Amino acid sequence: MDREENYICRCEEVTEEEIRAAIRGGARSVQEIKRWTRSGMGICQGRTCRRLVERILAEELGLSPGEAEPSSFRPPVRPVSLDSMDGSKE
Amino acid sequence: MTIRADVTVLGAGVNGMSTAYELCKRGRSVVLVDKVVMGAGASGSCDDMILLQSKKPGILLEMAFRSLELFRDLEKELPCDIEFDTRGGTILIETPEELAVMEDFVASQNRHGLAVEIVDARRIRELHPHVTDRVIASTYSARDSQVNPMLLMKGFFLGATAKGLTFLRRSRPESLSPRNGRWEIKLSTGETLETGSVVNAAGAWANEICGLLGLEFPIAPRKGQVLVTEQLPPLGATNVWSAQYIVSKLRPAGVPAPGAAPWMSGPEEARKAADFGLGFAFTGTHSGNYLIGSTRENAGFDKTTVPEALGLLARQVIHYFPVMKDVHFIRTFAGLRPSTPDGMPVIGEVPGFPGFFMAAGHEGDGIALSPITGRVTADLVEGRKPEFSLESFRPERFLEGQGDLDEAASG
Repeated sequence: MDREENYICRCEEVTEEEIRAAIRGGARSVQEIKRWTRSGMGICQGRTCRRLVERILAEELGLSPGEAEPSSFRPPVRPVSLDSMDGSKE
Repeated sequence: MTIRADVTVLGAGVNGMSTAYELCKRGRSVVLVDKVVMGAGASGSCDDMILLQSKKPGILLEMAFRSLELFRDLEKELPCDIEFDTRGGTILIETPEELAVMEDFVASQNRHGLAVEIVDARRIRELHPHVTDRVIASTYSARDSQVNPMLLMKGFFLGATAKGLTFLRRSRPESLSPRNGRWEIKLSTGETLETGSVVNAAGAWANEICGLLGLEFPIAPRKGQVLVTEQLPPLGATNVWSAQYIVSKLRPAGVPAPGAAPWMSGPEEARKAADFGLGFAFTGTHSGNYLIGSTRENAGFDKTTVPEALGLLARQVIHYFPVMKDVHFIRTFAGLRPSTPDGMPVIGEVPGFPGFFMAAGHEGDGIALSPITGRVTADLVEGRKPEFSLESFRPERFLEGQGDLDEAASG
C-alpha cells in the first residue's frame, strides 16, 4: 500500500509516511512521534493507531514489537461531557 | 565509550533544548541527556501561552518581551513550524473589587512598557461572544501570544541536530566529577561524557542532579492539572484567564485566598479550590482543542489527575463560558512546574563548581522564557556578558549555609 495514502491515525489524518518520516527525523519513542505528528491525539485517543505506531517504530528501529516502549494512557477512556463533571447534579 | 564535547546539557525540556540549540548554533559541540525522552516533564504537559500580562513588571517581564522578539526569529529560523501566533489575551473581571485591583495592576504594567487596557462589558462580548453575563470588564493586551511547545522542542531538536547535537535518551548521570578543569559525567547507560561545562536544565528534577554534588536548591514541583476538549470552532478572539487566576499567581505569601466564587457551592468548595490552587486559564490550540486549566498544587512528583480537581475545572469553565456545558473533554494531564520560593528561576554558575551552570526553576514561565534562557545560558557558558543582568537569578541566593562550597568542589 502507498505509505502516503495509508492513514495510521484516522482522527488526526496522519499517514504511515508521516510517522516514518518523524522517526527518520529523530523521534525515537511513541511519545515523541505523537507530539511531532499528532497521531493518537484525536478524539479516539490512539485507540486505532496506538499499536500500529508502536509496530512501525519497532520496525524502523529494527526491534521486535515487544521491545518497543508501549504508549502512555491518559484518562478519560472515552470523551466525557464537561457538564457531567458537576457532582452537585447527581 | 567516552564522548568528548564542549558542553553537556542535562534535561531535554524546552529550556535545555533551547540552550543546546543556541550553543550548537554558536559552533559548540553539545551532548543533551534526558532520563526519559524530550519534553517528558513540564514542557510536554503545559499549555501554549506566552503571557506577558501575567508577569510581574520587572526582569521577568523584560525577558518575556525579549523572548517574544526571539520567537519571531525562531519562527523563521527553525526547520519546522512552531505555530507561533499573537492573538492577544484577556483577563475576565467579575466584581468591582477585582476591577479595582486589576486597574492598579494594569497601570503598573503600562508604566513598565506593556500596553494593557481595561475594556468594558460591550467590548469583551465582541471579543468573546460566549462569555457569561457576569463579566463586567476585562483586560486586553494585543501582545499576548502562543506557541506549540511540542513543535518548539521539535524545532530546537532538528535545528541543533543539523548542527551536530548528540542526544542521549533514557539516560541519567550517576556521577559528576571535576577533572583538570573539565567535567567527567558517568551515565546510567554506560557512556562517560567529558565536557568543559555542564548545564542543569532538569526543571522540577534539577535536584536529582544537584544531589550528585551535595547541593540542594529549593526547586519544587508544583502540579497543574489540565482538561483537553474535543476540537471546536473558535469560541473567541483571544486567550482567557480570570482575574482570580492572576490574584492566585501574584498573591504574596500570607495574603488570604479570595472567598467562594459565584459558581461554587459554598465555603467548603472554596476551601477545596484554594487547596488545589485553582485558577482559570483557557486557550484554543491550532488544532482546535481547547485547554482548560489549571491548578497549582504542592503534591510532590505525583502526576495523576484527580476527578475532584477536574470537576472544579469543568464547572469553572462552564461558569465563564456556558456554551461549554455541551462540550466533551477527551484527555486530561498534569504537569510539574519547577517552582522556587521567590518565583524567579535559577540561572547562573554555581559558586565552588566552575563550569557547572543552573538553568531551571521557571515554574509556569518555562515556554515563554525559553528563547532568552537559551541565549543567556549560552552566554554564561561561553564566558560572555549576557544581555540581561542575571542578578535576581543567581544560584547563590539559595545556597547559604550549605557548607564550604570551595572545599566541596576540591574534595
